[in-house]
Amino acid sequence: MKTAIDAQQQPRVKVRAQNGFRLKINWTGIAFLTPAVVCFLLFKYYPLIQAVYMSFFDYKVINPPGKFVWLDNYKYLYHSTEFWNAFKNTFAFFFIYFVLTFWVPIVQAVLLNEIKFASKTLRSLYLLPTAVPAVAGYLLWKWLYNPDYGLLNYLLHFIGLGPYGWLNDPATAKWSIVLPGVFATGMGMLIYYSALQGIPSENIEAAKIDGAGPWRRMRSIVFPSLKFIIGIQFISFICGVFLTFDPMYIMTGGGPANSTRTLSMLVFNSSFKEFRFGVAGSISFVMFIIIAIITYVQIKVSNRD
Amino acid sequence: MKNKQKLRTWSSLAIVLVLMLIVSACGGGNNGSNNTGSNTTNNSSTTDNTAATNDTSNANATTNDTTDNAATTDNAAASGGTVEITVWDQPNPDDTMKSIKEEVYADFETANPGIKVKHELMPQGTNDREVFVTAMAGGNGPDAYHAAHFPIIADWVGQGLALDLTPYWDSYEDKDKFIASSMQAGTIDGKVYGIPHDMYVTGLFWNKKMFEAAGLDRDTPPANWDQLVEFGQKLTNTSKKQYGITLLGMEWADWWFEYYVWQAGGDLTHVNDDGTVQLAFTEDPSIKALQFYKDLKWKYKIVQNNVLQSYQDNMNDIFQGRAAMSNAASGGFGDYVAQGMDLNDVGFAPYPVGPGGKGPGQIGGAYWIINPKTSKEKQDAAWKYITYMNSKEVAEKYLTWQQDNGIFPNLLSVRSDVDPSQFAKDISPELVAAVNKAASDTHLEYFLKERLTPYVVKAVQKALTDEKSDPKQLLQEAQDAAQKEVVDAYNASVKK
Repeated sequence: MKTAIDAQQQPRVKVRAQNGFRLKINWTGIAFLTPAVVCFLLFKYYPLIQAVYMSFFDYKVINPPGKFVWLDNYKYLYHSTEFWNAFKNTFAFFFIYFVLTFWVPIVQAVLLNEIKFASKTLRSLYLLPTAVPAVAGYLLWKWLYNPDYGLLNYLLHFIGLGPYGWLNDPATAKWSIVLPGVFATGMGMLIYYSALQGIPSENIEAAKIDGAGPWRRMRSIVFPSLKFIIGIQFISFICGVFLTFDPMYIMTGGGPANSTRTLSMLVFNSSFKEFRFGVAGSISFVMFIIIAIITYVQIKVSNRD
Repeated sequence: MKNKQKLRTWSSLAIVLVLMLIVSACGGGNNGSNNTGSNTTNNSSTTDNTAATNDTSNANATTNDTTDNAATTDNAAASGGTVEITVWDQPNPDDTMKSIKEEVYADFETANPGIKVKHELMPQGTNDREVFVTAMAGGNGPDAYHAAHFPIIADWVGQGLALDLTPYWDSYEDKDKFIASSMQAGTIDGKVYGIPHDMYVTGLFWNKKMFEAAGLDRDTPPANWDQLVEFGQKLTNTSKKQYGITLLGMEWADWWFEYYVWQAGGDLTHVNDDGTVQLAFTEDPSIKALQFYKDLKWKYKIVQNNVLQSYQDNMNDIFQGRAAMSNAASGGFGDYVAQGMDLNDVGFAPYPVGPGGKGPGQIGGAYWIINPKTSKEKQDAAWKYITYMNSKEVAEKYLTWQQDNGIFPNLLSVRSDVDPSQFAKDISPELVAAVNKAASDTHLEYFLKERLTPYVVKAVQKALTDEKSDPKQLLQEAQDAAQKEVVDAYNASVKK
């Protein structure tokens, strides 16, 4: 039996190290991993390091790297109203996305898990919007928000409300940009739903027999089981929100009065409109640091729990 | 023990990061050193290659210090004396002028057997500027490019994206045929970097039919700001969702706003004799212009509700008869016709004058530029291609084709010896005269626009979206920030 299992296992090379430990090298595993790791290093880490490198220069794209300016680009950011405005906007978006969208797929998945009737159809309906290209979706919402001819104001006028300048008012523009995200939770919902399917039904049934109500079952069985997935999704959520660019670029272009200009938009504008690639590199690095810190704290908190 | 392990982990991480930084630095440095290396050897061999492939007077162009000799030699050897250049001017499949463009391209190659032009479609991207800069940074840029827009060419020159064409220009026999205003933005510090590909002049558009319906004289546009308001109020009818004049309040808000500053007698920036820049956001004309802009929205209520709507939405309002007045460009009349408007109902005139007693039109357009990183041989070939495409013969060939196919031409030509109005059927002499009148008093967009846009746009958008805002304060805030974050650094770099 042992021989049969060994035969099925991937080829291994045993290496005797100097200290006497035997190292087992799984070449098949390495072969499978190598392309992904190389791509990851090439397309994720190399650009990051390149951005850090650029941030120390008054970078010239044609004759790189340009003049070495040490920390001047970072000093510029420190004194830049544009940067701090974008910084505040990014955190404001983070908050709004969290309030409006983060919990939605969790609730959807829990409800879907409870509803047995037509659950496949409902699952498909939830997933369908993810097939709409994001850019097309944002353009559609931009039309819905049009103060003169948009559907939203048209419908509101029947109940005596509006018209509202959804994207025209700095007070509502951010919320209006985030709102479409509430309806685009398909993939997140599917991930939570899969996790819920993994909870043994015996545990739920036993809790019911013990007299635990729905809320109690949710607190004591469902949420603890989802905690790991929620943690992973939260990290992905942080990265997504901090790097989000398309909705602001398409729906408001950063306006009105720079109220929706985020750090990622500032990176784009600094590089391709103002040709300050060094500044763009420094903003990218600051974004990386912020995301890394939040992620680290999140992981630490999860581990402690 | 645990601390030791932690230390080991962090040390490993630090070493990896440092190594990657070094690798990255080597990558960047290599580009630079390669360039330098090729620069050193290039000029010596340029003469040899030029004689074999070119008969123009561009031997003077040896001052270029960024060409790549290795590439020159390789090309010549590989193509057996034929130089191949890449130009991003392949017409789209749905381009109405596809057939005539391909005919002109074929004519060029027939006339220049030593040059093969690879016509390519521009790669897809967020916008043409980003695509071009990215391609150039990656060493995949075209040898000649025809969309270096007037406001951006100075920045591109600063970034080393455009070749100094002065040596070519000086010996170009048609150089006196280009109208002076078309060369203004492409001539920087006395050097020529761009040859005009196309240009336009802006002015006031008005819908004559809507004027008539509002009880106004269909042939008389507003002459000043007071009349603009008076006419606008007569033309605004909220029940019909019809309004007097369009404003542009989206992320390009500074574009149309600057016209009002000119009309008030000022500009948003001044360029000093030493090349440094002085901001003029808080000067009286700028403040008057923003106050007026704000009043058009909040006091007179003669503009669209959605003041932040896109440029295309503004155009749609014009085409669909919702906006009675707007900005128009001399190259855009064909669009009005294509969208079903009767050209007899289209009025065009210089802008109404403001408190400054002026109403200059904006000159815009795009230049041909040549890739400074390509080989000298290709630069020479690119220059021949550009001058061919800008020749009187080709310009008139296009205009004739447009006339035969019912396409309305751009009434403003970059060449003084080409008169587009001679190639348009049933064109109203009044329209031609209006374009010429608008072109007689023109203005370039404000200096350093690409960098100052966020500051000006913020002030304009705030004025258009907040009724209680104070234009003077908004402009003061914009100027303070722009001075500290853009202008001080720019001026310091100029003085170095």
